[in-house]
Amino acid sequence: MATTTERARPRIASHAFLMLLLVAFLAPVAWALVSAFKPANEIIRNPLSFDPTTFTLDNYIAMFQDVPIGQGFTNTAIVLLFKGAITMFFAPLAAFAFAKYQWAGKNLVFGAVLVTLMLPTIVLIIPLLLEMKELGWVNTYQALILPGAVDAFAIFWMRQVISAVPDELLDAARVDGCGEFAIFWRVIVPVIRPGLAGLAVLTVMNIYNDFVWPVVAANSERMSTLQVVLSTLAQNITGNRIGADYATVTGELLAASSVALVPLLVLFILLQRHFINGILAGSVKG
Amino acid sequence: MTATAARTGAARPRRGIGGPRMRRRLAPYLFVLPFVAVFLAFSVYPLYFTARLSFTDWRGTGAATWVGWDNYTYLLTNPSFWGSLGNSAVLWLLIVPVQMALGVLVAVLLNSAKLKLRGLYRVAFIVPFVTPLVAVAQIWVVLFDQRYGAVNALLGAFGAPEVGWLTTSAWAKPTLALLFLWKTTGFIVIILLSGLQSINGSIYEAADLDGASKFRQLWSITVPLLRRTIGFAVVLQTLAVFQMFAEPFVVTQGGPYNSTTTAGYYLYNHITRADLGTGAANSFLLVVLVMALSLLFVRLLRAKD
Repeated sequence: MATTTERARPRIASHAFLMLLLVAFLAPVAWALVSAFKPANEIIRNPLSFDPTTFTLDNYIAMFQDVPIGQGFTNTAIVLLFKGAITMFFAPLAAFAFAKYQWAGKNLVFGAVLVTLMLPTIVLIIPLLLEMKELGWVNTYQALILPGAVDAFAIFWMRQVISAVPDELLDAARVDGCGEFAIFWRVIVPVIRPGLAGLAVLTVMNIYNDFVWPVVAANSERMSTLQVVLSTLAQNITGNRIGADYATVTGELLAASSVALVPLLVLFILLQRHFINGILAGSVKG
Repeated sequence: MTATAARTGAARPRRGIGGPRMRRRLAPYLFVLPFVAVFLAFSVYPLYFTARLSFTDWRGTGAATWVGWDNYTYLLTNPSFWGSLGNSAVLWLLIVPVQMALGVLVAVLLNSAKLKLRGLYRVAFIVPFVTPLVAVAQIWVVLFDQRYGAVNALLGAFGAPEVGWLTTSAWAKPTLALLFLWKTTGFIVIILLSGLQSINGSIYEAADLDGASKFRQLWSITVPLLRRTIGFAVVLQTLAVFQMFAEPFVVTQGGPYNSTTTAGYYLYNHITRADLGTGAANSFLLVVLVMALSLLFVRLLRAKD
């Protein structure tokens, strides 16, 4: 008897600790999702109240009228489609070259991948912006799509994943008369599908959440991505927009944040197993 | 490149056909070509451009004037430049040690074989990592509002006084640090978990037999064996903290009194002022600093092995 209680105590303690963290990690998002349905005045007067009978869509209606969030979604979707496709196709292809071929200059080019990984995005912002000006690409989709396409982290990660594919599979395909690209397409891609699913989640997340480059390179209202549209709302609050009613802006802001949160949350919950296992399989070992 | 491949291919003709063999030699070059093209166009060229720009005075239009090292001396003698680095350093101290301690603890708990609800915890902890930063940063603005925020309302219920989370220099940094911790700790836990999975479990059985406490095992076995993974995580977060931009941009605009003007946000200020030469010089100083810090951590962790 004594031994079971002795063993149960640390288990209860660790669950209590983990549950506490779980609440802390979920509370801000849950609070925002719920509060967006509260009347705007109630959000600021009683931030902790919860009364489903008073729930309303007013904040959403006001937000859709005031903020070009539909345009933001469209722009993000276009960038996501093209930039995502480029990374999902060319990054594993490059990773294949690093993982399964011996070639002169391999270390040099892999060095370039590592440099891209380490280089702070913000450092390249000024010259990239000027380059876009020279090319006439400011406020265009090209500017949002091409820089940073063929993501370096994706190459780095997929190289680890492809390294684990046995060489015998490739040799067998060669004996069957497969060309090099056919090996990639018909042998590698089907085998690494779980890793690719993980990469897809990460890629969608990165592009969807990207903010620094879009806010600099494409800040016109017509070209604003979802995140840029969102950021203008918060500035209305902290930037003391004259005449702005704090309650109304807060309500709109929470509604907009909810709208931006939900698609990624759903995607993640559907694919979380692939994503977490993919990272577990692909990151550095201790 | 083509010529070399063709010559070596011809020198060693096997099975009579040079075709597939040569294609096999050329294939990797074609496969990395798209990456190399993007790298040259959007990393190398801008870097070269930054290097030249950093020695000029240029306001975005007209001709640039060559000013030699002026931009660098201006920054290195400017208190606000050092202030921005100092702010980032304080944020680093508030974030990285806390995150590593918390990360290791949570990863070890999640890794224990008998733990129930593991799947639920893993998903819940990574939810913040998945949420869009701008959306979360906005939620932070509302939650931590001094008069109307839920945090002060909650603390007020316990009788605590109102805190100016975002309006006082003393609290603005910890509030931003909390946002960063909340957003990224789940991801760090996953990275540490991957390191833990490569540790052989029998080492703990031996420690159990020797009567070592769980805490002792964590400190004397797990942490040393995880050193490389922890090192990787520290480098990753150091890069992230010194680049931090969206958080102060959305939540505090660098204030109050520049207390949250991070190195990344300070850099952005040069762009808004169209002072591009100084901005370029600042970029280079930041690259050097970040790379040096990363190398330092890698060294420190290697030296102890």
